[in-house]
Amino acid sequence: MEEQKQQTAHTSGGSGVISLRPLQLSDVDDFMVWATDPDVVRFCTWEPYTSRDDALAYIAGTILPHPYCRAICLDGRPVGSLSVTRNEAAGDACRGELGYVLGSGYWGRGIATEAVKMAVAEVFGGARPELERVQAVVDVENEASQRVLEKAGFRREGVMRKYFMLKGRTRDAVMFSRLSTDDDS
Amino acid sequence: MEEQEQEQQTPRTSGGSTGGVISLRPLTLSDVDDFMAWAGDPDVARFCRFEPYVSRDDALAYIAGTILPHPYFRAICVDGRPVGQVSVTRNEAPADAHRGELGYALASGYWGRGIATEAARTAVAEAFGGRPELERVEAMVVVENAASQRVLEKAGFAREGLLRKYQKVKGKTRDLVVFSRLSTDADS
Repeated sequence: MEEQKQQTAHTSGGSGVISLRPLQLSDVDDFMVWATDPDVVRFCTWEPYTSRDDALAYIAGTILPHPYCRAICLDGRPVGSLSVTRNEAAGDACRGELGYVLGSGYWGRGIATEAVKMAVAEVFGGARPELERVQAVVDVENEASQRVLEKAGFRREGVMRKYFMLKGRTRDAVMFSRLSTDDDS
Repeated sequence: MEEQEQEQQTPRTSGGSTGGVISLRPLTLSDVDDFMAWAGDPDVARFCRFEPYVSRDDALAYIAGTILPHPYFRAICVDGRPVGQVSVTRNEAPADAHRGELGYALASGYWGRGIATEAARTAVAEAFGGRPELERVEAMVVVENAASQRVLEKAGFAREGLLRKYQKVKGKTRDLVVFSRLSTDADS
């Protein structure tokens, strides 16, 4: 409820229409704004980008062929991105993992929360009928991202100790999930 | 809890049953008939991702193709005879190399005697001892499999949470409980 008020205020302030669309090579300069920012990638497994060519290679090689990767757009302009993986192994196809990043200038406005809700609705919405669970793995210290997921209707399932490697160190992570059968929250 | 297990084992040994010296060793092709005793049993396979083996040839192919080259796969032996299996996976990708997954299966005639618990403890200790990069051994158990959850608790694993609709097992999407033991966990 708070978020809807914030979004209305943003719209009236001249910005705030959030949308998702595929990310393209022509978005590389917008991509560089968040992907070069150490604050943004602090809890990501990757290092900040320093080269436009590296960014183009990443968009071409990883983003374009991805089963579900979207630019988070504010009034049509990419300010972040998100993705939901697809598992090929039959037993694991019921599950996809959500990841997202948002330019630091756009934090604290409910944009990531809204984008996550839209993405979850899309992936559960029919393109992948076998998908029953979207999960997200968040560093225990990344409280802002934990709040995004809670507000987006994900359930916190537990802390997995030394679960993932972040920039050379093993980290505890919180596991969140949302099911296709979860009620709107 | 562990004291109870030891008391239970003493009467069985004195009762002349096959006794209780538990050991782990690599599984070989010549173990195929013992392997079929647990791997062909639907009760054993019930909560596992594999279908019970019906063909000796399929079992031999699995031993040759998956078990022999496996980084850590052991027969659980009672008095030298294989009655089950235990394994810890190794991830090649550097991002996941610190993590391994424990799996085990025990012939149903040997359930309820602490054998799986001891095998799990030994396997995890060996895996941590032999692989310096390994920091976390995890195990995922179908939520209805209470017996296996008890094995892990007694083997010193911590229950971390319930992962809803995590994986398809035997054609149905299941809730799985995730457990872990770290190389830094104190002996329990």
